[in-house]
Amino acid sequence: MKSSLIIALLVAVAAFRVWRRVKRRSPTRRQSSFGFSPFSGDVALVAAREMRERYRGRIFRVGTVLILLVVAGAIVIPTLNKGKVQSQEVGVVGPLPGYLHAVFTSYAQDNDVSVGFVPESSVTAAKGALRSGRIDLAIVNASELFVDKSLSDSSNSAVPQLATDLGDAEAVADDQLSAAQTAELLGAKPLPITSLHPGAPNETIGTSVIGLILIFVMLSQYNTWILIGVMEEKSSRVIEVLLAAVRPIQLLSGKVLGIGLVALSQATVIVAFALLLAKAVGSNLIHGTAPLVLLSTLVWLFLGYAFYCWVYAAAGSMAERQDQVQSLAFPLSIPIIFGYIMSLTAVSSGSVSSFFRVLAYLPPTAPFAMTVLVGLKQATLWEFLASAAISIVCTVAMSRFAANVYRRAILRTGGRVKLREIFGRANAS
Amino acid sequence: MARLLELEGLRRHYGSITALDDLSFSVAAGQVVGFLGPNGAGKTTTMRAIFGLTDLEAGTVKWDGAVVGQAERRRFGYMPEERGLYPGMHVGEQLEYLGRLHAMSATSARGAAETWLERLGIAERIGDKVETLSHGNQQRVQLAAALVHGPELIILDEPLAGLDPTGIDDIGDVLTEQARAGRCVIFSSHQLDQVEDLCESVTIIDHGRLVVSGRVDELATSGPRRLVVRVEGDRDATWAKGLDGVTISEVNGGEARLVLGDGVDSDSVLAAATAKGRLTEFVLQRRRLSEVFREALV
Repeated sequence: MKSSLIIALLVAVAAFRVWRRVKRRSPTRRQSSFGFSPFSGDVALVAAREMRERYRGRIFRVGTVLILLVVAGAIVIPTLNKGKVQSQEVGVVGPLPGYLHAVFTSYAQDNDVSVGFVPESSVTAAKGALRSGRIDLAIVNASELFVDKSLSDSSNSAVPQLATDLGDAEAVADDQLSAAQTAELLGAKPLPITSLHPGAPNETIGTSVIGLILIFVMLSQYNTWILIGVMEEKSSRVIEVLLAAVRPIQLLSGKVLGIGLVALSQATVIVAFALLLAKAVGSNLIHGTAPLVLLSTLVWLFLGYAFYCWVYAAAGSMAERQDQVQSLAFPLSIPIIFGYIMSLTAVSSGSVSSFFRVLAYLPPTAPFAMTVLVGLKQATLWEFLASAAISIVCTVAMSRFAANVYRRAILRTGGRVKLREIFGRANAS
Repeated sequence: MARLLELEGLRRHYGSITALDDLSFSVAAGQVVGFLGPNGAGKTTTMRAIFGLTDLEAGTVKWDGAVVGQAERRRFGYMPEERGLYPGMHVGEQLEYLGRLHAMSATSARGAAETWLERLGIAERIGDKVETLSHGNQQRVQLAAALVHGPELIILDEPLAGLDPTGIDDIGDVLTEQARAGRCVIFSSHQLDQVEDLCESVTIIDHGRLVVSGRVDELATSGPRRLVVRVEGDRDATWAKGLDGVTISEVNGGEARLVLGDGVDSDSVLAAATAKGRLTEFVLQRRRLSEVFREALV
């Protein structure tokens, strides 16, 4: 551990010295007002401007605070009742035989609650106590149960089983078995159940859902920024001034890099905040393999952004007005929404189909599907790496195509540019 | 020897429309050059071609003898016809950013931005967003954006459009100053009076081809002679109608502007005018730039 730290420190010092030397050799780029840029050259300048303008924007700051609040709520709220034993008051009208008392004791253990008994003088009094919330349940003459809310209410989910158990106990008692026999029957353990689709451990289901939401929100937000940013440069005609100084590919690369770094930094802050908060409140989020799922989320957020940013940039270069942007954005968002919904369905059911596995290898849907497979422990490291490799190769191909579209479309004005205009005969003239 | 911008055989079509048709001309540095032509003549396409903003089918652009590439373009300044700035970005930061894209250091870009804003009379707006500025002030910022990096070649597409007389004077002064400093300044405009005041030379194109190019003084003194004559009481200049070899160019409040054909003696015009009434004005004038323009396009 110590030696690793020393090596890391030496590498950092060496990198710093090289950077200083390169900087000294370049007198025209002595000082950066876009100070947080670790890069040099035109791409870095463009990226730094994007980062500064985005960080400065109210949308980013308010959005980040809102996301952090939602994450904090998702982590803290489930832990508020953790460790507390809930008590349930049972109103009793008439006698309560000992064997039924034992059933209630068993119910209390199974549902992690404490049960107290409150004598009620009559059925009417018991109903009144139920309505007022003074008691949670009433048993009348050891033969009938009353609850205030519908049985479909989640707070009453254990009541039907309690009723069955009470009925069984009553039947056993009617058979006039000995106390030992009755206890043996009532204490019989259920048969073990083994599912062929065991589903995810509870702690990673929640983490996967948080990861999916994070990827969906951030891909939607940052790709829209790219789309609108490119369109605005075209519609404001600042593009002509910029392209008089830099190449289209430099401008495009700087834009996607800058916005991408903003996205990654925001996601990193959110994940780090989630982990720290989870540790502080003892949430399941940091138990078991959950941190690994979060790391996978970050990786797929990066890969998803890298793939989609080029698509959205190319689309933005073809638009000149806000309404054109909206008509372009909808078809582009379909694979994102599709992947997101399919993944939410899979993670909530705990099982994945063959079709879903295919989605995990397609770059448009892989960020969602592979995140779920990791959360459900349904993907090996090799499968993860193979999907990432496919995504990277497709991203390189997409970037080339998008740069070509951007170069040809960005200076065309007078309406929305169509792909066939760019690559058709019109361009040859 | 002054640096030279050379355009050789530029050719560009948009569908069936010919924008540039084997266009060639050259412009020497150290002067303000008016780049003129009717709408659709190919002026904007030519300017964009110099900055690589349109794909040429043929032809080359050279600066100082070398074919223009990205390195050369960084030393050029461009003000496009349709103004281009980030509306939501602060004026000073925007100029600094554009300066840095032209290979300036941050410090010198910031200093140049402040200097130009001061020079153009909008120093107090350095921290404001561009979108909050008036049209005239946005125009000034746009000019500063073209000049912030101290370019050798300055190309401005309609820089005077929409400006009040003060704004035109301010920008005109800057352009003249840049030319005196040895830069090559080329600008297009439809306001020919201003072009005539500002420019030493003009280049006129039409249908993507060169029509006329030369010094304003030479173009004004070349061609048929002009006479401005006013005869008292003859507001329509009827006395001039029917004079052999004389064309009435325009009549304005009794003042007739006449174009004399080859071999026509001004004395004969003087005699004809005095025969019709009391002569109050009789002046031999140079060709106006607007006349050069119209006659070139006939």
